[in-house]
Amino acid sequence: MEEQMAKIDLSNISHTYNPLDPKPTYALNPFSMTWENGKRYAILGPSGCGKTTMLNIVSGLVRPSKGEILFDETPVTDLKTEDRNIAQVFQFPVIYNTMTVYDNLAFPLRCREFTKEKIEERVKAVSDTLNLSSFLNSPARKLTADQKQLISLGRGLVREDVAAVLMDEPLTVIDPDLKFRLRRNLKEINEQYKTTLVYVTHDQNEAMTFAENIIVMDQGEIVQVGLPKDLFEKPKTTFVGYFIGSPAMNIFHSTVSSDHEVKINDATIKTNSNLGNLKDKNVKLGIRSEFIELAEKEKSNTVKIKLTRVEDFGNFKLLTGKMGDLVIKSKVEREKPIPDGELNLYFPPEKCCVYSDEKLV
Amino acid sequence: MSKLYTFLKYFFITFWTVFVVAPFLWAVSTSFKDFQSVNSKVTYIPWLDFEPTLEGWRVLIKSPAKGGVDIVEPYFNSIFVTCTASLISIVLGTLAAYALSRFTFKAGFVRNNDITFFFISQRIMPPIVLSIPFFIFLSTIGLLDSLLGLVVVYIVLLMPIAVWIMVDFFNRVPKELDETALIDGCNPYQAFYKVVLPNSIPGLIVAGMFCIIFGWIDFFFAFILTFTEVQLLPVKVVALNSSITPWWSLSASALVSVAPLIIVAFIVERYLSKGNLSGALK
Repeated sequence: MEEQMAKIDLSNISHTYNPLDPKPTYALNPFSMTWENGKRYAILGPSGCGKTTMLNIVSGLVRPSKGEILFDETPVTDLKTEDRNIAQVFQFPVIYNTMTVYDNLAFPLRCREFTKEKIEERVKAVSDTLNLSSFLNSPARKLTADQKQLISLGRGLVREDVAAVLMDEPLTVIDPDLKFRLRRNLKEINEQYKTTLVYVTHDQNEAMTFAENIIVMDQGEIVQVGLPKDLFEKPKTTFVGYFIGSPAMNIFHSTVSSDHEVKINDATIKTNSNLGNLKDKNVKLGIRSEFIELAEKEKSNTVKIKLTRVEDFGNFKLLTGKMGDLVIKSKVEREKPIPDGELNLYFPPEKCCVYSDEKLV
Repeated sequence: MSKLYTFLKYFFITFWTVFVVAPFLWAVSTSFKDFQSVNSKVTYIPWLDFEPTLEGWRVLIKSPAKGGVDIVEPYFNSIFVTCTASLISIVLGTLAAYALSRFTFKAGFVRNNDITFFFISQRIMPPIVLSIPFFIFLSTIGLLDSLLGLVVVYIVLLMPIAVWIMVDFFNRVPKELDETALIDGCNPYQAFYKVVLPNSIPGLIVAGMFCIIFGWIDFFFAFILTFTEVQLLPVKVVALNSSITPWWSLSASALVSVAPLIIVAFIVERYLSKGNLSGALK
């Protein structure tokens, strides 16, 4: 009966919460995706973009309006939650108030009729990992909010054979210090037991440090799936550019002037994108503030800006400048001397992304 | 300021305590008096002011044939009817409330809230409106003047209370709790009785308390729907009255009638003071 960890396929899934409406609004637009066994995924996106709906579809709490879910090629769309062998952790601690910590952790195993010895062994292992060993016999409701969340997490991790552990912003209530340690613990658990972990968050740092693959969502749409590096350097849409990175990507309205060049105000910027068929069209140029360099003097691919603000973040300085009515932000090393007034910024061509209709060219 | 506050606080508490306890003390004292000590002059303290007698209590357990009134049978009838009706109301009411809290119902213009209101509306109606329909209903099915008939009627009266309290309670139990139980491997029924129900004990206690109180104190339906075969306590206590008011046995019967509610209050109070019910009562 126990299925082992599985590859999860979401095939042509879409979901609406008002299917009877003549014009249903979709919480999730049709998409297909595969979650490989044993990997760490983060689903990243603003609130209300469909992240939680996606998790609930996988765990079976929500039946998708259309499409199919397969665990290891076996369709499970019609399988009930309790038969799916999925663990899910919610944003706020959900604990069984009337039970002790031990019984809370043992509950998923007892429901699945594991032997007493096995239960004891697993509960001990999980409580050691989560620093809950000294509370095992206390009533769960007596614990603090972050300890309660550890219990929720523990109930997800206590079953070794789950197809995936789905976590819906699980570390919101936990203090930053513990958060950091827990993320590392989760990583270790994933590496040790090869449990697939899916982690929903709206915090890009959390996503970037935790996951191997990041799924960026916006308004029920999957915008980009990729490694943290790809999302950072080559955002597929302007949304990803805005959403990922701090500060957000610099994005300028510009016009294509030749095969590889765009014009922002008067400055001509060379890029590595092929813009042959977009000649004279309006596009957007995106570049990360991290990649913009200070230039000694005017040369090709530089723009002249008027410095309006310098913020010292300790490990770097954030320059804000204006070119006409465009605002440009650039991160520079703290030690670098910043000339007053006007200065030249260099845009490396390989780091410039051109967007037509908000999509990467 | 704080001294004045403390003074006012204790003054009010003392005043209220006297206000609540005095009638009881009066009833206790009166129940041990005889005709002479009640009617001749004002008396307070036993042995000093008057000679206490157990006559007021004795008539309560003597059969009417021996000059008594016998409230023992009505007493147990009341316990049986109240407990049975409360229990059934709580069981059915809790299930209904869970459904109303967790599922979305839709029939024409009727939604969950309308169904909940329908339950409560049973209590908004003046009871006299229901008396004739109940009378006809019970006489049609042959349950007039029977314990079973009273149980049926009391379920109708008590279930709205149970539904109302439990819907409110379940609405404040996060649905993630049920979902977590499902994910942990319970089927929906197990999720209900292994996880949701144990979490709802405070609500169940409050609902049970209200059901027992309202069931126990009802006079109106007990009076209308019974005659000779079956009598409930409130009706019997009122029947004690006669041309010469027997204050002593009335006091004694009032005390024994209130006793179960005091016991219930003590049990519930233990939970209240533990803070377990804070959520249930809001």
